[in-house]
Amino acid sequence: MIDVAGILMQNILYVILITLGGVLISWSVHFVPVGGAPAAMAQATGIGTGTVQLAAGAGLTGLVTAGAMMQITNNAALVIASGAAGAMIMIAVTMIVGTWVYIYGVGCPPASAKVKYDPITKDRQDLYVSQGTEGHGLPTVSYVSGVIGGALGGIGGSVVYYSLMSVTNQLALADLVGMASVFAVGIFFVNAVIPSYNIGGTIEGFHDPKFKRFPKAVVASLVATLFCALISVLAIGGL
Amino acid sequence: MEPLTGMGVLALMGAAATIAGASEDLESDVGSQSNPNSQVQLAPQMMYPHRIHSKAVSGEPPSNALMCAIGGTTASVLITTGASAALALAIGAIVAAAIHGTYSATAYMGRSASQKRFKQPVYLDVMRSHIPVIMGYAFITTFCILVVSYLMATVLAHPFPLPLLAFIWGITVGAIGSSTGDVHYGAERQFQNVEYGSGLNAANSGNIVRKAESGLRNGIDNSWFCAKFGGPVTGLAFGMTVFLSGWITTVFDATKGDAIGWVSVIAGIIIVLILILWNRNMEVAARAAYGTYKEDEAEAEVAA
Amino acid sequence: MSAGGSGAAAEAIPQNNIIAFGVAGGLIGIYAAYFLVDMVGQYMSFIGALGAICGMIWGAAAVRRVASYGLGTGVPSIGMLALGMGVLAATFGLAVGGVAGPVIALITAAIIGLMVGVLANKVLKMGIPIMEVSMTEIATAGTITIIGLAISMTGTFDFPVILSQVITTGYIAVIFIAGGLAILHPFNANLGPDEAQDRTLICGLEKGAIAMIIAGIVATVNEGASGALTILIGLALWYIGFSGYYDRVKRDAYAVVGSGLLPSKEELE
Repeated sequence: MIDVAGILMQNILYVILITLGGVLISWSVHFVPVGGAPAAMAQATGIGTGTVQLAAGAGLTGLVTAGAMMQITNNAALVIASGAAGAMIMIAVTMIVGTWVYIYGVGCPPASAKVKYDPITKDRQDLYVSQGTEGHGLPTVSYVSGVIGGALGGIGGSVVYYSLMSVTNQLALADLVGMASVFAVGIFFVNAVIPSYNIGGTIEGFHDPKFKRFPKAVVASLVATLFCALISVLAIGGL
Repeated sequence: MEPLTGMGVLALMGAAATIAGASEDLESDVGSQSNPNSQVQLAPQMMYPHRIHSKAVSGEPPSNALMCAIGGTTASVLITTGASAALALAIGAIVAAAIHGTYSATAYMGRSASQKRFKQPVYLDVMRSHIPVIMGYAFITTFCILVVSYLMATVLAHPFPLPLLAFIWGITVGAIGSSTGDVHYGAERQFQNVEYGSGLNAANSGNIVRKAESGLRNGIDNSWFCAKFGGPVTGLAFGMTVFLSGWITTVFDATKGDAIGWVSVIAGIIIVLILILWNRNMEVAARAAYGTYKEDEAEAEVAA
Repeated sequence: MSAGGSGAAAEAIPQNNIIAFGVAGGLIGIYAAYFLVDMVGQYMSFIGALGAICGMIWGAAAVRRVASYGLGTGVPSIGMLALGMGVLAATFGLAVGGVAGPVIALITAAIIGLMVGVLANKVLKMGIPIMEVSMTEIATAGTITIIGLAISMTGTFDFPVILSQVITTGYIAVIFIAGGLAILHPFNANLGPDEAQDRTLICGLEKGAIAMIIAGIVATVNEGASGALTILIGLALWYIGFSGYYDRVKRDAYAVVGSGLLPSKEELE
């Protein structure tokens, strides 16, 4: 049987970091402007897909970048920053092409229905919302919010991956990469689904009233990720 | 690695990713998947039965991740036994496309059968004509994603194994496809019966176009339309994601020191800033060109 | 795709029977495969996949129950959550547990699932009465699926073998997604007011058989397991599942027609 207390004492820093990473992922999902099914019909502001999937797409792209960087440097900050850059690029590109489709394919200007003036550009919003919809497209505030969400998600995912890779262990490198990537994907999905149940479908970004709900998801993620962090550190540290 | 080799591989990956993105979107339009499918699902309830395929496999990211992971697994098994990579990737993509066909079949039959009270029939000829097309697109998507993943794993020496990379890129291509190209299908093609240039009025929900240029509209008609805009831009989106996220680390190669690694991060941030400005630019241009939907009540009162 | 109605789904087979079927079938399959591969021969590895199919059908039934209440987001999210929790619990259980690994993995999964369920209702205030039970079920079913498929790929759940042949090679990714889709797809595909439990569950069998075939493909390159028999039995189960599903579609649908126009106005009234 493995020395539970010993492994945990030795790696307590990484348990904390993994938990922190999970909380960051959970918080980041609230920034990503997702309109769910209505947005696909230009019926709601945001990206026309589900919360979990978009967060997972961005976060996992960040994980791929961080994994490549981890191979060539030991600098934690650089690995984490690279993960954030990868995730930001993915989400920024997705949103810019989304804007092409809304403007040139559907013919409607970006507009938010939740605020009267865009908090960043101070542009009037309500006049540009077409009849019978809850806004459409990605006004600047949603776009910036999405980029922040991508960055935080990328940071969270990379922190989790970096911490798992740094746990004291006797594994060969290839085996360690396998274990760490599997645990990172598992933790990522748990922390992407929890906030999506909190948001309940659609959110426009940090200016949306629903954004204020994030402490609930953060608390839920904190508890759930702490447990996941304990078992993953024990599993990797025990080998 | 030689910088030129790196750039060449990156260009190839970007090209493969662009094709994968385009075929992913068209595949989801033929079958009608993900968020726009909610309208296809709603239509019979609103007394609009239709002959459009309903591919409610799951959201696009999981279903594409499934295709790509199956393809990556089969290819990886074949490569282990000594098969050539090109053959292994092709066979992997065939297996994945075949399995995706079974998923499409159960989804169409299941969703239609669960709408008995709205009198939506199951049309077997819709399945016979659509599923081969869906499988064809699925083959292209999977094969291109496998090419991207294989190049990353072997030439760029990424530490993740082939099936895992294929899985992750599958999730990403699905997320991008459902965020970009699907809007063209959902907001425009399904509702060509209302005036161009606005979002779907909630009052029109479920009132999808059911008649085609000839006969009744089906998913293949939809892919013909979306291939003009939605599909190609989805391809550009995924190609750009793969290319740009690889470009910053290839041009500013962190193996030469952490300082260059930081430059690559800064390059990434600059790209994102440019995209933010571009989005703002388009927002302003669109507002100026299209104008408002309603008059400002406060101003109207002042004028009166 | 937001989905689901509100309220409990009608059940011909009570959920408790399905839970018993999933846990007992899953554990029997996993342990039978483990011991029989040693005693009889490697071709017994297919039993692990049968155990996994029990887990997947159970998972599909649990998703059907909880998603009927309406999650506020798509059905797929819950399948991804199931396998996310499952992969953590399964890897942990097998890594620390030795021969008791699967049992430890199930207990760990039940704890994570219960915790997420309690958090969902108490902290996120989702207000779904069966959330705690369903999350526990879904996490456990996901874990059985993962271990069962892994054992049919390798013929054992000894962790060094699982690590080198399933996790390091990346085949865990296909287990994750094929298992996840087998759990979430049946209800997603049959969503609608006239959904029927037996039709949804037999779709779970059909998708489970596909996961079994894939496990068989991987098993062909592993010495401890035999792929041919797994693939053959998987194909047979797939055929049974698909034809059973088609029969139920014909039974339940308004009409199954070779081709034809839309129903007329008179018909719709």
